Amino acid sequence: MTSDSLRHFAVLVFLCLPMAIAAQSADDAQAEYSRKGADSCLACHQDNAVVLALFRGKHGVPSNPQSPFGHGQLQCEACHGPGGAHAGRVRRGQERPPVIRFSPDSVTPVAEQNAMCLNCHESEQGFAWHSGPHGNNDVACADCHDSHAARDPVLQTSTQPQVCDNCHQRQRSETRKAFAHPLVEGKMDCSSCHSLHGDSVASSLARQTVNDTCQQCHAEKRGPYLWEHAPVSEDCGLCHSPHGSNHAGMLAKRAPLLCQSCHSQSGHPSVAYQSDGLASGTASKYLLGQSCMNCHSQVHGSNHPSGSKLMR
Amino acid sequence: MNRSAALVFIISVTMSAPAAFAQTVDMSEWACEFCPFDEGQRADFEFGASSVSDDSAYFGDATGYDESGVYANVDGHGGYDSEKHRLRWTLEDLGLDSRFAELEGGRPGMFDYQLAYREMPRRQFDTTTTIFQQPAGDTLSLPSAWVRAPATSGLTALNSNLVGRNIESDRNILQIGGRYLPTRRFSVSADYRRQEQDGLKMYGGSSFTNASILPMPFDYATDEVDFGVRYSGDNSFVSLGWYLSDFENSNAALNWEQPFTTAPGAESVALAQAPDSRLQQLSLAAGYTFPQYQTVISASAAIGNIEQDAAFLDYTTNSNLTAPALSRATLDGDIDTSNFAIAITSKPFDKARVKFSYRFDERDNKTAQAQWERVIVDTFLSNDPEQNIPYSFERSLLSISGDYDLFDNLRVSAGYDRREIDRDFQEVPEQTEDTGWGQARWRPLQTLDIDVRGGTSKRDIDTYNEGIAATFDQNPLMRKYNLAYRYRQFGELKVTWSPATVPMSITLDALYADDDYTKSQLGITNGDELNVAADFSWSVSTDASIYVNVGIDQIDSEQTGSESFAAPDWRARHEDDFTTVGAGFRLQQIADKFDLQLDYTRSDGETMIDVASGGAGPDTFPDLESELDDLRLRLSYQRSEQLEINLNLRYQRFIAEDWALEGVGPGTIPVVLSLGAQPYSPERFVIGIGARYQFGSNSVTQ
Repeated sequence: MTSDSLRHFAVLVFLCLPMAIAAQSADDAQAEYSRKGADSCLACHQDNAVVLALFRGKHGVPSNPQSPFGHGQLQCEACHGPGGAHAGRVRRGQERPPVIRFSPDSVTPVAEQNAMCLNCHESEQGFAWHSGPHGNNDVACADCHDSHAARDPVLQTSTQPQVCDNCHQRQRSETRKAFAHPLVEGKMDCSSCHSLHGDSVASSLARQTVNDTCQQCHAEKRGPYLWEHAPVSEDCGLCHSPHGSNHAGMLAKRAPLLCQSCHSQSGHPSVAYQSDGLASGTASKYLLGQSCMNCHSQVHGSNHPSGSKLMR
Repeated sequence: MNRSAALVFIISVTMSAPAAFAQTVDMSEWACEFCPFDEGQRADFEFGASSVSDDSAYFGDATGYDESGVYANVDGHGGYDSEKHRLRWTLEDLGLDSRFAELEGGRPGMFDYQLAYREMPRRQFDTTTTIFQQPAGDTLSLPSAWVRAPATSGLTALNSNLVGRNIESDRNILQIGGRYLPTRRFSVSADYRRQEQDGLKMYGGSSFTNASILPMPFDYATDEVDFGVRYSGDNSFVSLGWYLSDFENSNAALNWEQPFTTAPGAESVALAQAPDSRLQQLSLAAGYTFPQYQTVISASAAIGNIEQDAAFLDYTTNSNLTAPALSRATLDGDIDTSNFAIAITSKPFDKARVKFSYRFDERDNKTAQAQWERVIVDTFLSNDPEQNIPYSFERSLLSISGDYDLFDNLRVSAGYDRREIDRDFQEVPEQTEDTGWGQARWRPLQTLDIDVRGGTSKRDIDTYNEGIAATFDQNPLMRKYNLAYRYRQFGELKVTWSPATVPMSITLDALYADDDYTKSQLGITNGDELNVAADFSWSVSTDASIYVNVGIDQIDSEQTGSESFAAPDWRARHEDDFTTVGAGFRLQQIADKFDLQLDYTRSDGETMIDVASGGAGPDTFPDLESELDDLRLRLSYQRSEQLEINLNLRYQRFIAEDWALEGVGPGTIPVVLSLGAQPYSPERFVIGIGARYQFGSNSVTQ
């Protein structure tokens, strides 16, 4: 063998070595997947209604090439990871090797669970997950989503608040106050106002700002008015408690004290209204009925040329 | 092929081999023979009827069950699947004013669409009475034989002309949307939503010394369009969006006749209703994942514009007054908005994660200023021209935080936020708020999670411009609470325990925040909030579960005022307490046929107000109280695989004590003609029976 031949042989060995390693790795990877795909899984799980419900949901659609059951996709193992060992034979008494499981009591780390979901959904969700409060607090996708359900409860207006309440107990309490948006009745959902997958907006709002979010449904407050009320233009939350309040209109405090937190003009705005002004006493127009709004009803702003005091 | 070319070929094949091989799975036997793919139609309908014992605006709000009587109802959902098309539909509460219907479908992976319709009843008061008649959509008139007087005691025709008029409205929402995905990476979406809302609102209409609470008719429509284009790469995405919100009000004004004695010519007056307006917003968002250190960067930018060009009403309807010409016929309102945000998260090493985010929002109100001559409540000219104030602001939030896994079961975090707000035309042109916080998440056991967070924040201002405050005739000592210096301390605790041996979960979630406005002499001086929630749930068996939850919220604040327009001479304390308790159980498969579910909620709200003026002790108002009991029971009988029969019982009781409404009839307040709205105190039973029937052969249930 000439030195050139030796050199060529050495080069080939050097180049083929990674190939051989790769082939071995591929064999390993291949061995990890089950032999028959979903059929291997259903051989044991075919009586499980939770498992079978998958075929009524979006993940079990064969005509969708992007679905786990689309042509060429990895079926159950697209989400649960290679299941060859799990589906293989085990000795009597030996624990079956686990696959990736999605549930609150799963031993699969949250990051690993979420990585499986984000494999397909990351770009769809806009990457905000990583910087949003759910991502920061290691919330698993499966904590909210039921990927097997025909109708995922978190995607239905009537059931979504119950899903969110599982973790947001304080907000659940607030929505039970006497004056609140109709979440308890299932007529509105959290995602009407919140971007649940996270956003760079404070409190993960559905729109750019608090006001933009509120004005989706309350556009009549948007103006701009000729006579603006400064806090209204800035943040609805300065006067309102959007999750619920003891006071009508979800106001943060009872008028006139709410108004007197900012208004100190000489005369009636500065008077200490006391209980002798109730109906059994002098029946003060500053306390009863709508309090300050008996006259200053245009509290969100007025477009009347004579409306600078928000009375027209 | 020369030697070099051969070498390059071999190297290329070699380098590409691992990727190609790693992705190869032998799927030759993956036939999916046992997969029960959905095909054909199926439907689930629930037909039923409910009997409601009593009228109640409170319980009818949002639900539509506002009147006693019998309601027929239909719910259902179903779908149709073929090889190429998928369709889902939902019906809810078809027999009620809160009905909802939705149809969604498409060819998965190619296109999808949605069509939805929802009605939302708003029921505020069913105890209101008024003298006002409504001859036209935007006009309220007095009865023909009305007698004016300076005070309600002199309105001799009041009682004989009162007519019941509920304060209620209806909102209808129509939504149509679709998405087209020509390739896996590219999508185009368009959504349209129209909301129509009409009915009556309670609205104050004032004269010089009097006011009337008016049943104001309103008729709003809002059209929204969301259009988006998105491209997704393996590690990136970019999207472009356009949002339109177009608001229209059918009534430019509310015209009404003054029921009180009034200045000559001011018998018929008008206030301006909300003007038509339009918001448009163009947004761009993008994200990229760098493989290094698992770094994710996302950014968004939006620019928008709000226009309002509704025609002004005249200064006054009083023909006896000669008001000058309006400075212009419309506001020509013009606001530019800008919103920018960027967020970067990274794991520089395995145990650490850092996050940086920055957000900027701007509202630039470019509406021109002008002089306006006010006619005070249609009675006389102020002769003191005023300028309209187009409020603008810039607001930014910078956040930096980091997590470190000190041990496998202990993560510590810390962060710093800086918020800055610059405002035009307000007392505080520049305001900053610095917040520092720390957090520890400890998992001493696999089943126990303890999360503690705490920190402080200091809101500071460059100056409180008393000159500007003076232009609003404010007391120079007043510090508006959203503009004032504030020092806040806060802490949060969350504990979750899920024993390994029992399917049980116990959680505690608590927040405490304490605010001190130490530089405020007038206005809010301090406030605090304690909010605690606790949950217990236990799956006793696969067919039985129970839960109990408790919530407590206490929000207190103190404020001062000055009747003498000098130093504080009165102090008020406002305490909001709220407690809620929920409990219930669910039993399934009783005798293989029955399911039983019970849920009970009790909520108590209480507000205590006391005001101490001068040297006197505090004057305590009667407590504002609300109590809600809500009991729901559902018994289901599975007659066959297709047929289920349901019995629903609901008991609801709400009691409110509210001194602002209680005992306040239409003529109780000497100078205000009210609608006599009374606090809610309904109690009622709802009993319903229904049958749920499942059509279609697919036996998959969930």
